[in-house]
Amino acid sequence: MTRNGIILLVEDNPNDVELTLRAFEKSNVTNEIVVARDGELALHYLFATGPHANRDPTMLPRVVLLDVKLPKIDGLGVLRRMRADARTKRLPVVMLTSSKEEKDVMTSYDLGANSFVRKPLDFGQFVNAAGHLGLYWLTMNEPPPAGWRNGGWR
Amino acid sequence: MKPCVLIVDDSLTVRMDLGEAFELAGFTNTLCSSLAEARQAISVGFFALVILDVLLPDGDGIEFLKELRTSPSTAATPVMLLSSEAEVGDRVRGLNTGADEYVGKPYERSYVVARAQELLRKKEPASETGRSRTVLVIDDSPTFREELKSVLEASGYAVVTAGTGEEGLRVAVDARPAVIVVDGVLPGIDGSTVIRRIRADAALRSTPCILLTGSEGRSGELDALDAGADAYLRKEDDTGIILARVTAVLRSSASSSVVVSTASLLGPKRILTVDDSLTYLHEVAAQLREEGYDVVPARSGEEALELLAVQMVDCILLDLVMPGLSGQETCRRIKGTTAWRDIPLIMHTALEEPEAMIEGINAGADDYIAKSSDHEVLCARVRAQLRRKQFEDENRSIREQLLQKELEVVAANSARELAETRGLFVEELESKNSELEAFSYSVSHDLRAPLRSIDGFSKLLLEDHAARLDAKGQDYLHRICESAQRMGELIDDLLLLSRVGRADLARGRVDLSSIARAVFEELKNRDPSRQVTLSVEDHLLVEADSGLMRVVFENLLGNAWKFAAKVLSANIEVGTDQQEGVAVFFVRDNGAGFNMSYAEKLFSPFQRLHTESEFPGTGIGLATVHRIVDRHGGRIWASSAENQGATFYFTIPPARPGVRR
Repeated sequence: MTRNGIILLVEDNPNDVELTLRAFEKSNVTNEIVVARDGELALHYLFATGPHANRDPTMLPRVVLLDVKLPKIDGLGVLRRMRADARTKRLPVVMLTSSKEEKDVMTSYDLGANSFVRKPLDFGQFVNAAGHLGLYWLTMNEPPPAGWRNGGWR
Repeated sequence: MKPCVLIVDDSLTVRMDLGEAFELAGFTNTLCSSLAEARQAISVGFFALVILDVLLPDGDGIEFLKELRTSPSTAATPVMLLSSEAEVGDRVRGLNTGADEYVGKPYERSYVVARAQELLRKKEPASETGRSRTVLVIDDSPTFREELKSVLEASGYAVVTAGTGEEGLRVAVDARPAVIVVDGVLPGIDGSTVIRRIRADAALRSTPCILLTGSEGRSGELDALDAGADAYLRKEDDTGIILARVTAVLRSSASSSVVVSTASLLGPKRILTVDDSLTYLHEVAAQLREEGYDVVPARSGEEALELLAVQMVDCILLDLVMPGLSGQETCRRIKGTTAWRDIPLIMHTALEEPEAMIEGINAGADDYIAKSSDHEVLCARVRAQLRRKQFEDENRSIREQLLQKELEVVAANSARELAETRGLFVEELESKNSELEAFSYSVSHDLRAPLRSIDGFSKLLLEDHAARLDAKGQDYLHRICESAQRMGELIDDLLLLSRVGRADLARGRVDLSSIARAVFEELKNRDPSRQVTLSVEDHLLVEADSGLMRVVFENLLGNAWKFAAKVLSANIEVGTDQQEGVAVFFVRDNGAGFNMSYAEKLFSPFQRLHTESEFPGTGIGLATVHRIVDRHGGRIWASSAENQGATFYFTIPPARPGVRR
């Protein structure tokens, strides 16, 4: 599978992080996966601030896998700030969460999420889902042009 | 349009007399001399009122009354029976047959008209606004009456007139004028007396009165003020001045409220006279009739009680010494009956001794009068009793109004308290609901995360570290995974159950047939190896929440599918039955069925009738179905026998507006 592009996984539960990493590994997604343990760290990473101040801000992940329930700033808050910022407003975001509350699903889409996936309880199914996600967002999906470089810094 | 009165009497004199009286009072009339004519008239015309003689050449007036009462078009028409007196039986029979009034002959024509007007007023109360601009002019000079009438009418007043004081008082009762203009000098009772009588009547006393007089002297003015007139005018004053005075008086009285509900003292009154002497009875009746009262004569105490049972009277004149039921006993019985005890009762006797008087008063009489007294005294006593009774009525009505007001305040208070309590409950309920919402949110989110870890890491052990586990260890890990899966299902089912109980119903037209087919397709896709046939009745339409109806069929068809697994040719049927006139939907399978003695456990959560290894399940599905049907106002039940399949029945009645469950 494709090797280029980073996946940003925003997830606070270490078990879920471990299982997600293993699921991608098992479905042969070998892209670099950056893990942010809360919403604030996710934003620091995306905008190269705080602990990530030394990062090249033009290097954006190919896709963000975003949990809804997160410490400090929750997933919907992260999504809202991403969509409000020209640098990240078109960045593909997949909500990857335990919740299937209608309210969460609707708010996510309203805020501009590209997809909403409920983490299956069965690990086998989760591995399948990870494979589909990788195949779709890293290979099939045409990412938005790096538009922010041409006009995003206005 | 003028109301029309049907007058049925075989006497030409009576017909002519009453016809004229009603015409003067503003009615039109139809005169009939026999029942045949009356029947003919009724069949073609509409009458506001019927005056009916009892003894007619071609039959019994009361029989005709019966016909009137049984025909829908005349059942509510007021009927006044008019009959040559004496026979108490006729009166009782007439009133029992549905007569509104029974007047004895010889009748007093003004009484008949006044009573007729009262009956019609009871039927359709005149509007208050119509009354408020009515002026009553009482003057014996027709010229002056007409002159004043035209001036007042030109200024937008309605005018009623009377030629004598007595007539004026009767008209006042009927018309309830906003102001009365009365001539000081009149034949019969004079203007001052008219005003005094008006002032003594609780229903009329607040009516402004203007006294007119031709005399120059101051005595007229003093008289007028003495009598309680609101204004005084000389007849030779310009009619314009009179008009101005009327307007001024009306303006100043506009704010004072009038108790219109009190029956007027000057209205038509009925007096029951009880005496064993026919001569004396006739004599008293004649005297009282002269005063404008309707007199009901009774020959004995027994007759008196019989009459009272069918017709209320305003005053009772009771002989003390009578054969049969004595005066005292009759008095005691009357005063002992709730409906009658407030009727003023005057004991009447030839005995002059104080003992007789005391005896009468002790029996409950309100007054006592010797037969030797002249008729002026008798009439004055009767008037006094009627007035006393009216004051009592007025007091009672004021007390009742006060009580009513208190009750209203109490009712308003408790309504407010109820609303407040209700508000608190609603608040509490809402807070509990949102707690529950938050709870189920964390259940769905937080309880699943550890399960995912349990399942995930167990699978990882099985896949990546299988070499270091023996068969038993691997079996245990499989069991751990299965348990995690099962707990996941339980959480999902519980969440659905709680959501079904809380979500708002979005009722719309739902085709259960297509839902059943779609759900069945899903079941087939999930388990393509199974051979199950489904037959669904077409167009099973209900008003329901389609999402929830889908949950119903997912569960019922899911169960049918599951429990028919061990049957060779599995069959599921979806359709309707009519049971006790109600459409009942059913889902029937030919699967394992269940023992009906456990039927009541079916719809409670976590109740299962089969072991997990026989048929897996959480035991929440039917509880959810039950809750959905219940929220739609329907019922669900099942019938089955072991190994003979099961049928689940449910009803979805049409939505009742305003009912939230």
